[in-house]
Amino acid sequence: MERRTFIKLAGATALATPLARPALAQGTTTVRWWYHFDNPQHSPAELVAKFEAGNPGIKVQAESIPWGGGNDYQTRLFAALVAGNAPDCAMVRLSWAARFQQMKALAPIDDLIAGWAGRGDIADNIWTINKGADGKQYYLPLQYVVLYLYYRQDLFEQAGLKPPATFEDFRSAAKALTKSDVSGFGLRGGAGGFDHWGPFVLGGGASFEKGGMVSEKALAANRWFVELTSKDKVVPASAPTDSFRQIVDSFKAGRTAMTIHHVGSANEIVGVLGDKVSAVPVPRGPDGKGWTYFGDESNAVFAVSKAREAAFKWCAFLSTAENNVVLNKFTGQLPIATSAAKDWTLHPKRFVDASAASLPFAASLPDSPKTPDFIARIWPANMQRALLGQIQPDEMMRAIEQHFHG
Amino acid sequence: MIERRSYARRMLEVELPVLLIVLFALGPYAWMILTSLKPQVELSAWPLNYWPREATLQHYNDLIARTSFASSLGNSLIIAIGASVLGLGVSIPAAYAFSRFRFRGRQMLLTGFLVINMFPVVLLIIPLFLMMRRLGLIDTFLGVILGHSTFAIPFAIWMLTSYFNAIPKDLDEAATIDGASRLQTIRLIILPLVMPGVATAGIYIFITSWNEYLFAMMLSGQAVRTVTVALQLFIGEFTIQWGLLTAGGTLIALPVTFLFLLVQRRLVGGLTAGAVKS
Amino acid sequence: MADGTGGGRISGPRPSPSFRQVGIVASLTPADRRRPPLGRGATPFWFLLPAVLITAGVVLVPVAQTAWLSLQDYLLYDPDNARFVGLGNFAKIIRDEVFWISLGQSFIWIVGVVGLQFLLGLVAALLLNQSFWWRGLARSLVIIPWALPSVIIGLMWTWMYDFNLGVINDIALRLGLIAAPIAWLARPDTALYAIMLALIWQGFPFFAVTILAGLQTVPAELYEAAEIDGATARQQLFYVTLPSIADVIATALLLRTIWVANSLDVILVMTGGGPGYATHTLPLYAFLRASSSMEFGYGAALALILTAMLLGVVFLYVRRAARGIEA
Repeated sequence: MERRTFIKLAGATALATPLARPALAQGTTTVRWWYHFDNPQHSPAELVAKFEAGNPGIKVQAESIPWGGGNDYQTRLFAALVAGNAPDCAMVRLSWAARFQQMKALAPIDDLIAGWAGRGDIADNIWTINKGADGKQYYLPLQYVVLYLYYRQDLFEQAGLKPPATFEDFRSAAKALTKSDVSGFGLRGGAGGFDHWGPFVLGGGASFEKGGMVSEKALAANRWFVELTSKDKVVPASAPTDSFRQIVDSFKAGRTAMTIHHVGSANEIVGVLGDKVSAVPVPRGPDGKGWTYFGDESNAVFAVSKAREAAFKWCAFLSTAENNVVLNKFTGQLPIATSAAKDWTLHPKRFVDASAASLPFAASLPDSPKTPDFIARIWPANMQRALLGQIQPDEMMRAIEQHFHG
Repeated sequence: MIERRSYARRMLEVELPVLLIVLFALGPYAWMILTSLKPQVELSAWPLNYWPREATLQHYNDLIARTSFASSLGNSLIIAIGASVLGLGVSIPAAYAFSRFRFRGRQMLLTGFLVINMFPVVLLIIPLFLMMRRLGLIDTFLGVILGHSTFAIPFAIWMLTSYFNAIPKDLDEAATIDGASRLQTIRLIILPLVMPGVATAGIYIFITSWNEYLFAMMLSGQAVRTVTVALQLFIGEFTIQWGLLTAGGTLIALPVTFLFLLVQRRLVGGLTAGAVKS
Repeated sequence: MADGTGGGRISGPRPSPSFRQVGIVASLTPADRRRPPLGRGATPFWFLLPAVLITAGVVLVPVAQTAWLSLQDYLLYDPDNARFVGLGNFAKIIRDEVFWISLGQSFIWIVGVVGLQFLLGLVAALLLNQSFWWRGLARSLVIIPWALPSVIIGLMWTWMYDFNLGVINDIALRLGLIAAPIAWLARPDTALYAIMLALIWQGFPFFAVTILAGLQTVPAELYEAAEIDGATARQQLFYVTLPSIADVIATALLLRTIWVANSLDVILVMTGGGPGYATHTLPLYAFLRASSSMEFGYGAALALILTAMLLGVVFLYVRRAARGIEA
């Protein structure tokens, strides 16, 4: 194409684009929805078409937003809220809820949920986890994952070991499996790694309550966790900055014998390791109490939306059994609707079972505006420094305590 | 006339070092191409296999057929060309003025262009977003082009000013004495001489705009999504689509490389074609 | 020698020493009043107007707003409760340990990356300016690293540095350079340099191209004269080539310094600033505070400090350029 044509084209399109926005035709409500899927080869178009067919008068404009480690998506969303051109509804995380609250971006949707037939199909404990601090519902649950322990069945058998149920089992198994080019445990010390730390430290007695990070029990649990690296040396040397990509890849390549992740990577791992891999819930602490991360995903309808009810209809549609199944085929997570979970075949059964067995002690992070910062900045920096011996494990815990409770 | 190096010496002194530099430049890119040709299961194979056991174009296929990459490529092209045209269009006259005129506040203005560029973009992005929103330019080509021109213009002005400065002013004066008007002088004498600089500044703007992510992410939506934003969509929360990403990365470098293959002829020419002796 | 050529028919691009203004911005005023023959009247105004309008229209307001934010305790998620704190953010920054760590690393980062990008780019440009049969191809291939988006570069290099599966460890092991794989990005003593290498790789083509273009503007007569005077290739380089393109080099260095000083996306992708604070630079820290903590006031204050320090670099440059530009 001629350079000149291009320029003309650019000019013409630039001018035309704002005009080309779908105008609000009489009687038609447009719902703008922001989403992020891990695999851009999937598009929600078929769900949108089905919804629009069943709901004449509502148009859904679905827009995918880059996740960018969570930062991009959040920045984009918050900027849009500040600028006043936020979508009507969007995929959101529980850990952002407190910030949305603070900027009054959300309004309760209890009334709409009450009138929704599908609400009974979502388990009570999920409604409880999803509740706002004031007991009202602001989010409509969409899908979830629970973190559990992946382990190499074949290596465990060769070593005559059973999958670990307690911390000490876990440590001795990790030690036994560590060889010259295999590490017992693929620890995630980089971005998002709090989900490896939580099972052992929060499960070992630490909590986000005031003083909960610096209790004797909490400090001891954290020391034990750091010693996996510093003393027992059962993790790869790259652990301090390893992120999900590295832990999953190393595990797939056979360089680690155990790691913690969720069903989202099950198919990928089985694709390489086949029957050599299985899963159990993460080990529990000496008192039998455990903790694992509940990775939530919900839809929220924003308070500024002029199409509140239509937006809710769309979100409810996505959380309804068969639609929820279709959606989760795209996202690789687990359906929130109980009826959809029954015959779930997307992931091999042993991983779905491990997820289900983990649910009773799965929890999310505190509903505080400081939580996203804990995940993205405070935890990684202090954890890495502790793993590298730049600070004492106890200092790390004091820094977390300081972050939440000043 | 003094230069009479033997072919072997020339190879040792020029071609071999060039080859090393080219290898350094290409190494990671070549690794990316190899990765993009490996099927999914080979990507994390250990021990490492360098050559794909079963080379496949599957990732390229998926990239073009099943994602928005191709249309994003078009958007990026429009934006990068738009930014280059706009940037050069306003920077050439400005740089000429800075080089050839002396006026009050010149130094301050020239420095000013630089100073606003020193502020980390990540902190400007929210106010910029709010402003673009007020102007109704979110998710339009013009919005992203304007966003990119914020870094393009100051850089182009500075680079071009120094290229203009490198052209002896005696030439302007000689032309004026011969009765040429200022515009004639610019068109007939100065511009041809400064062409390598214009080409460089153009390449600079094109590449920077082509590779820019943050502005594109914030200021574009579904309608004018650029290729960097499309690539970012392959990096999900729980998986990275390595195949798609490396295939996309391989393709994304090609337009720029071809463009440069065309433009590099311009880099020789002007005043000194053939001057630097072999 | 080269000195003898200055009086030739075409004067070199460098001003003769008597013309040099040794001074700073302020000392330029007398020169401005001198009114050289070429510039008069309102003409420059029209030449400059479009650039000024666009730049002012698009950037000035956001810059001013951000500067204003630095005086406030502003949380993006809580804009209604923003408080004016004066210099409070700056006072906090002075006592912030991470700020000082980031500052030191920013310094290493800028000097190392810009310096090596420049050296490599200069060598590449001088070589690519020679004629050999595959010159056009070589010039185009060298540009490839610059033609890739940062996010791809970050991910590719992370992948190559990978402890378990990385090609760099693999090659080094095969060649016997190392006995065991090295966790390049997880060790505080290697992480920053490992990322710097990726950025040097990305940016050296910029210098190569810029300098290559600058080399074309060197008048051929200078080389002819130098050859007649019997100057060796090395002498030609130091007495003809480099002085002739000094202005272009200085500008490229200045622009690159600003760019590198502000660049954080490759670091963000490769380590996110870790391990610990080992790869924190000032803009990265400002970004983390602004983006993940959403403390825009604090982030803006950090950014302003960075800008102020870059102004120092510009000041040094202008001192130098004042001589060249006033010729």
